[in-house]
Amino acid sequence: MNAESDQDIRIKLLDIFEDVFGVRMAELRDELTLLDVPGFDSLKMINLMFAIEQGFQTQFAGNELAEFANVGELVAYLRDQAA
Amino acid sequence: MTTAGFETASDSRVQEMQQRLTQLLDGCSSQEIPKADVCAKIARCYADLGDSPAAIAWLRRLTNAPDSFLAWNNGALLLDQLIKDGSRGLPTRKAKVWVASTYTSAQFASLLKLAGLRHGLTLDVLEGGYDQLRQDALAPGSSLYSAAPDVVVVAPHAGDLRLPEFSDDPAAAVEAELSRWTAVLSALAANGGSRIVLHNFASPPANVFGHLSQSVKGSRAAMIRHLNERLGEQQKSGVSIVDCEGLSALIGKRVWFSDRYWYAAKQAVSLEALPLLARHTASVIAAQFGLSKKCLVLDLDNTLWGGVVGEDGVNGVKIGQGDPVSEAFLAFQAYIKGLQGKGVILAVCSKNNDADAREPFAARPEMLLRVDDFAVFAANWRTKSDNLRDIAKQLNIGLDALVFVDDNPAEREVVRRLAPEVEVLTIGPDPADYLRALAECTWLETAAFTQEDADRTAQYRARNQAADLEAAAGNLEEFYQSLQMEGAIAPIDDASLARCVQLLGKTNQFNLTTRRHSESRLRAMMANPAVDHFTLTLNDRFASHGLVSLLIAEQAGADYVIDTWLMSCRVLGRTVENGLLSHVRQRAIARGCRHLIGVYAPTAKNAMVSDLYERFGFEQLGRSADEVRWGLDLSAPWPHENTYVRWRQANGLLKVSA
Repeated sequence: MNAESDQDIRIKLLDIFEDVFGVRMAELRDELTLLDVPGFDSLKMINLMFAIEQGFQTQFAGNELAEFANVGELVAYLRDQAA
Repeated sequence: MTTAGFETASDSRVQEMQQRLTQLLDGCSSQEIPKADVCAKIARCYADLGDSPAAIAWLRRLTNAPDSFLAWNNGALLLDQLIKDGSRGLPTRKAKVWVASTYTSAQFASLLKLAGLRHGLTLDVLEGGYDQLRQDALAPGSSLYSAAPDVVVVAPHAGDLRLPEFSDDPAAAVEAELSRWTAVLSALAANGGSRIVLHNFASPPANVFGHLSQSVKGSRAAMIRHLNERLGEQQKSGVSIVDCEGLSALIGKRVWFSDRYWYAAKQAVSLEALPLLARHTASVIAAQFGLSKKCLVLDLDNTLWGGVVGEDGVNGVKIGQGDPVSEAFLAFQAYIKGLQGKGVILAVCSKNNDADAREPFAARPEMLLRVDDFAVFAANWRTKSDNLRDIAKQLNIGLDALVFVDDNPAEREVVRRLAPEVEVLTIGPDPADYLRALAECTWLETAAFTQEDADRTAQYRARNQAADLEAAAGNLEEFYQSLQMEGAIAPIDDASLARCVQLLGKTNQFNLTTRRHSESRLRAMMANPAVDHFTLTLNDRFASHGLVSLLIAEQAGADYVIDTWLMSCRVLGRTVENGLLSHVRQRAIARGCRHLIGVYAPTAKNAMVSDLYERFGFEQLGRSADEVRWGLDLSAPWPHENTYVRWRQANGLLKVSA
């Protein structure tokens, strides 16, 4: 499997965030947390989990997604999954 | 608007928006139905550019594309915003729906609004608290009842069931579980005037008894099956079922059930399956509101048979057993014949010479459909959209009651453009796929099944023959006489109740007040001694039309007030209404009333009866934004007796007047 670069992952995540939150963000900074995203709630959390799982062909166990401190950690996780 | 680095799409960079829109539209110009996420993006562009009708049209297209939860979710977010802004282009028909669930139903509730658009409904969807179904239903003053929804969707899941893996008395276990649910359903029916839509129980794939559960009645899987059957019987108490067991099988139980999402967020139905569930729930709700499609309009060449009859000749067209193409068309015809038996009217719309088009039906015994199966047979060279308008007119139904099936994408496009009210089925080039596309389209869901439904095409065909006779008879009196009509008037009884509820739910044109009384409301009215109810059944020399008109009136002192008066469009224009009103007038006099009061409440569809009371000599008493009140002095002469219908004595309240 081709490892995706962090940049590819970020671009894909931007699309996913737009899908889930209905908002196009200019960029995804590493220090951004989910709580910073406008309209974030527990429901969107599940939708986001679904969207990332579909987009990256991965599966989160339990509440794994909520436990990432910020976007930087999420990107690192997805990079390791793809490797 | 820019907040903290986030640009919302309502930015004023219109030019950029337009560029993005053009890009999106160019990217999908060769696709009949673009992918769902593309539809959602295009809809958002239109919304941002201020063209909400176009945005709404694209949201509707989204619901016809292959399902994608994320695209639906995105579309639903946009729809919420459009509804909040009171945007132009939203369906004027509104309904309030309460989702009472035992699992996390927020996503479902949101998707249901989008699915409502498909059927021309702007849905206001409210939700009970998480797992508050029982509390909301059983407490008379609950927030559910104070919201007074038009529809309650009861959405439990198999995890709620108190059924063991094995019971040595399965019948008792099922009955006990059934009564837990009927308690909820009857509380809903008794406390509110809402229609009730019940999601039945999707049986989980993990099944201890495995294949043996088909033989062991006490196994949990067998008991769930039995419970679903018993719940289906609640239809007679006004509960409509959404068959989640069937839907979970359709999409696959491995997809429908996701244990991970259950543990993570109490999602009893996986997000992937929610568009399917929302679409089907909306179609059942729409059927209750009388918004189901009534007529299936079919092309002939390469739609009902393989090949082109005008070129390949009557013996060259492919239909019957023996080769894959012929068999696919045969199966498609068999399914359509089945739909007709359920009450769907069939019509033909084909570019052909009329004689060529009819020949295969007569000359090819393999054909399952016959010319007689079609209420209208339009084979000519006119534009299909014009023919569809004629078909709707001849059948006295709206263009929006038609579903059009044609193998030719160009014809489908013409109809989408020139008769956008018609629902056009998208089918692939392979006839083997036609049947599934039609079976899964959900346009033809109906709320009830009665004898009238089974006989419908015959009735409509008879109506058309009667119309031909009208043209031949020269004058109207001769026409009415020649119909040899026979009628009977009787109160609603157990046998006619289902048909009455169905007519209340779906009659749009000849309907003075369009009050969509639910079955529970109707029963309550019937129990009121001040209320009289009259049904009219009609036969003529062509057909038995069955129960075609319903009138409900209530005495209020010296006034006799008509609450509801509706009539099936099949029997319009033949003086039947005179007969019924004459009877009702007699009844009002017998009750000692002095005035007969009628109300006309205008809707988008019932203009044909706007002057009905005036035609009967009523005087206008008053007019408000919503209705016009008419009154008739019962001591005044009545020159409107019906002499064209021979009245049969019917048992019940009313003696037939002279």
